[in-house]
Amino acid sequence: MISIRDLQYAWPGAAPCLEIDRLDIAAGRTVFLHGPSGCGKSTLLGLMAGVLVARQGRVSLLGQDWAALRGGARDARRAEHVGVIFQQFNLLPYVSVLDNVLLPCRFSPARARRCTDGPVAAARALLQHVALPPGLWPRRADALSVGQQQRVAAARALIGRPELVIADEPTSALDAALRDDFMRLLLDECRTGGSTLVFVSHDDRLAAHFDERLSLPTLNRAAS
Amino acid sequence: MTALLQIAARSAWNRRGTLALVMLSIALATALLLGLERLRSDIRGSFMQSVSGTDLIVGARTGPVQLMLYAVFRVGSATHHITMDSVRAVAAHRAVAWTVPITLGDSHRGHPVLGTTADYFRHFAYGDRQPLVLAQGRAFAGTLDGLYEAVLGAEVADRLGYRLGQHIALSHGMVAGPGKHADHADHADHADKPFTVVGVLARTGTPVDRTVHVSLQAIEAIHLDWAGGAPLPGLAIAPEHARKFDLEPKQVTAVLVGLKNRVAVFNVQRYVADHAAEPLLAVLPGVALDELWAVVGLGERALLAISGLVALVSLASLVAVVLAGLNERRRELAVLRAVGAGPRHLLALLATEGVLVTLAGALLGAVAAALAVLAAAPWVQQRLGITLQATVPTPEQWALFGAVLVAGMLASLVPGWRAYRLSLADGLSPRT
Repeated sequence: MISIRDLQYAWPGAAPCLEIDRLDIAAGRTVFLHGPSGCGKSTLLGLMAGVLVARQGRVSLLGQDWAALRGGARDARRAEHVGVIFQQFNLLPYVSVLDNVLLPCRFSPARARRCTDGPVAAARALLQHVALPPGLWPRRADALSVGQQQRVAAARALIGRPELVIADEPTSALDAALRDDFMRLLLDECRTGGSTLVFVSHDDRLAAHFDERLSLPTLNRAAS
Repeated sequence: MTALLQIAARSAWNRRGTLALVMLSIALATALLLGLERLRSDIRGSFMQSVSGTDLIVGARTGPVQLMLYAVFRVGSATHHITMDSVRAVAAHRAVAWTVPITLGDSHRGHPVLGTTADYFRHFAYGDRQPLVLAQGRAFAGTLDGLYEAVLGAEVADRLGYRLGQHIALSHGMVAGPGKHADHADHADHADKPFTVVGVLARTGTPVDRTVHVSLQAIEAIHLDWAGGAPLPGLAIAPEHARKFDLEPKQVTAVLVGLKNRVAVFNVQRYVADHAAEPLLAVLPGVALDELWAVVGLGERALLAISGLVALVSLASLVAVVLAGLNERRRELAVLRAVGAGPRHLLALLATEGVLVTLAGALLGAVAAALAVLAAAPWVQQRLGITLQATVPTPEQWALFGAVLVAGMLASLVPGWRAYRLSLADGLSPRT
């Protein structure tokens, strides 16, 4: 699913923050990537999603090197194959909950086609799976609580069954009860849809939920 | 792209309060720009159409602009007059079809009095060779019986509320601004010889509207007991008695000349310039009007430049508002990046928003300008004598409208480019 070889990445004008010789993540796996703040977790996720491009080394998704694609093709590929959940502020506040979930299908016809009964039906089904009451679906996203917003973000990342779901500390703003509910929902949906999940957090207690556990400071030579 | 446009529209709607203010600012700037351009164009139109059908204006040798100023616009006064012999000499040229002598120097309540012949009403034209039309009454008779008859310009009649049959008194020289009481019947210098209003001209939008027209003989009659610009002490000639004098003028201020064929215009101009008996000047009205406009047009160009600056400031405020909001929108942009929008999409998103706001503002401004012209036209006509055309926009207005749009599009690229740079730098994690 994801293959990284001899990666070196530096933000403009800064020393390299990521140096990874080799990393492979197999399809369908749930991976817990942990490390302290500032160790390059979000940068690595940006590289996996093709938002950032490595100048040295190779980062591939489904066998395709992101750097070999032009900007527009990278964006289209990301829309088709990757779902992203942020730490917070996941949703566009000015569109409805349902429209937020449908966003990836608007940018990727391929992802819309993967919704067997159509994107709207798929969005509704996902919102039901993440236990969001139908009464909230037509409401503006900023009318929801933080916990509800994270569940909507999970539904948006999962619509159209993307091969890769990236979650960047999505539970850090949730209390313990909400966090456990969210983890259960996310892992269930990824396993049901066959998506690979790369989950980043500095909270080691979550590691037990995942198939694999990766320590970024161990992988990243630039951190040592 | 359709998805992006829908998102752009909803995002803009979400910030409608701020954007509405920017739009209003652009609308006001556009309305100011277009309104001023309309005013400028119509003032120029009124100005350039002050006289037409007159091929030459002949007066004592002075500057062409000065001759136009007093002969057409009744501004200032002639330093020298020309003799009727010279007028007759010009009229005798084989290429000349008609001549209309005019005399200026008196006024009525701030409005200039023009002494002329009845031919003036036949030959003088304005605009696109439109003749003078009497809205009420008739032209003065030009005979001894009708010696003290006056024909008023439309503005004189409107402003002073005069009707046919009313008596008015003239003053010597231009003693006060329009409507002032300085030559009210009791104080007028020529109050001993009152005139009867026999006609009112239809509105022309030219200096004719502000003029009181009397016969050349009437001008002679009211000055019989005057010398050197002052009444002769102890001499008072009664109005009826004046008719017994020779009232044929010896001098006039200028003469309007119409030619049989315009081809001869330079011939006649040279003929006038070479007139040996006294130094004369013949000007082509169109050329002199252009020269005059080059002088008086400076102000309107300055106004247009100022309104252009106002438009620029409004567009700068658009850029400032969108840029200021951009930092708060970085997470929104990151979400869009995550679901497949590229940096170019974000540039397009921000630029589209700016363009739509500019377009809406400019359209609103154009409509506001048209409505303002429509509403103000009667007042401007009444007060300033300028006919505002509430019709299709002029090419210059279209050009200004286009310039606002293009400037708005270019200005919108600034926040668009900033969003592009930020999205590249932020990746999936906006560092706000």
